[in-house]
Amino acid sequence: MLEMLPTWLIDWLGPDGMANLAYLTNGKHLAWYASVRYTLIAAVCGAGLAVIFGLLGAGAKLSKFAPLRWLGDIYTTMVRGVPDVLFLLFFPLAFEQGIEYIMAKMYCSPDAVAAAGGVACKEAQWFLTTTEYLVMACFSLGIVYGAFAANVIYGALKAVPKGQLEAAQAFGFNEREVFWRFQVRQMWVYALPGLSNVWLLLLKATSLLSLLQITDIVAWADRLGAPNYLPMAGLVHPDWRWKYYLVLFIFYILLTFISERFFGFLQARASRGMARAN
Amino acid sequence: MDTLLNSPFIADLVILFKPALYNIYFLVAAVPLGFVFAVVLALAKNSQSKLIALPARTYIYAFRGSPLFIQFFMFYSISLALNPSVWKPLGLDWLMLSPLFIGPFVLMLNTAAYSAEIFSGALQSVPKGEIEAARATGMSKKQEFRTAIWPNMLRLAWPAYSNEVVFLFHSTTLVYFTMPVINQQQDLMNKAGELFEKDYNLFLHFSAAALYFLVISIVIFYICNLIYKRLTRHLNVDVKLKIKPNYTR
Repeated sequence: MLEMLPTWLIDWLGPDGMANLAYLTNGKHLAWYASVRYTLIAAVCGAGLAVIFGLLGAGAKLSKFAPLRWLGDIYTTMVRGVPDVLFLLFFPLAFEQGIEYIMAKMYCSPDAVAAAGGVACKEAQWFLTTTEYLVMACFSLGIVYGAFAANVIYGALKAVPKGQLEAAQAFGFNEREVFWRFQVRQMWVYALPGLSNVWLLLLKATSLLSLLQITDIVAWADRLGAPNYLPMAGLVHPDWRWKYYLVLFIFYILLTFISERFFGFLQARASRGMARAN
Repeated sequence: MDTLLNSPFIADLVILFKPALYNIYFLVAAVPLGFVFAVVLALAKNSQSKLIALPARTYIYAFRGSPLFIQFFMFYSISLALNPSVWKPLGLDWLMLSPLFIGPFVLMLNTAAYSAEIFSGALQSVPKGEIEAARATGMSKKQEFRTAIWPNMLRLAWPAYSNEVVFLFHSTTLVYFTMPVINQQQDLMNKAGELFEKDYNLFLHFSAAALYFLVISIVIFYICNLIYKRLTRHLNVDVKLKIKPNYTR
């Protein structure tokens, strides 16, 4: 692959530069770069689900039906009182166990369950791959940060000027239409700063994917940085983990920077035509 | 009574008591130094001189913009890399490689950045009139800071700061996800995970750990509230215990 580079570039890099370039583009490093996709998928899907859970949570908190309101309050307070790591580990494991329990009820005879020591028999065991773990990581991120988003959206829904809703009512819209067409539509401008904060938290939480057996950028950095001995070449490099983690440190700062720029742009666009101080 | 003591949930709570102390240790070791460092950073960030403000700004941005998980890995691996050349010859390797040192150290660096952002926001909203009054009465810079700026800043920042302390407490779980356990010094999540691997009873062990986190979080809110009451005792406002937390960090 590297021979395809133009000669002036090869001359400019020199033998050392070429060796470094070859090291940084070997198969393992390419796999590392490719594993960024897990981080981005988890962040984007998790954020989408967080907004959905946030809308549901905020709707529940605003409900006129008291038990639903309590449910919304319990959801948002529970998640905030317990570390996100706990939920991130809990939901996938609980889901896996739930599926195994149902499958054991369907496929296992009582004898087979007893023979397996009280757990699911062989037919009902389910081995999760990266894809399933990734889907469940998205859901756990969605549920955890949905509680954060629910609080933001709840505040934003209440910040919509009353007059707007009363005007809509006066025009003969019914309650549901007033909620969806006026309150939710106008809520986004007020929710955007808070949601951008939640997105930044969620983005940082995607670094925890390696705890769910996903070989993400963090897991690759650990593998690539560990002292590398080759039988033929001897020591390739000593413990370089700190270099790889430094790269990740800068990578996440860059992601934060880009997100902040993006949300600033979005905010400016969303608040066109709104009254502003100064 | 006997059946209550024999219930697996109570047994779990007893087992998890000692691990909970490790989480509390990480918090208590990180908060005081983090507080001091945060105040210094906040003052530096609001400084007139660009030479002082820029490094503080960069530090706060870097540590707020990257995950704590990566920061733990990074500082631990830096310490590991320095071990053969620096710590070992100095005879410091027992300290510099111990999670009981690196854990609070990184937590301190992290919370300093987050708290500095809170304090610098509070510094900017200190009432101008009080600063002018301090100057008008002929106070020195030092007196002005001690009587007008510092108490106001602390009072304005306190609700957000107590929220940050709870976030920090939750972050202490990450210490043993990134560093090896030495001599059975396990924290709550680590011990709950170990119990889970023995009998796969997920709900039991994780809810016992979650209960500890919830209760300790409420205690932290309570203590912070007592301090807030003291900070605002001259203002004649009614401070109620606020369990309902903030959701931003």
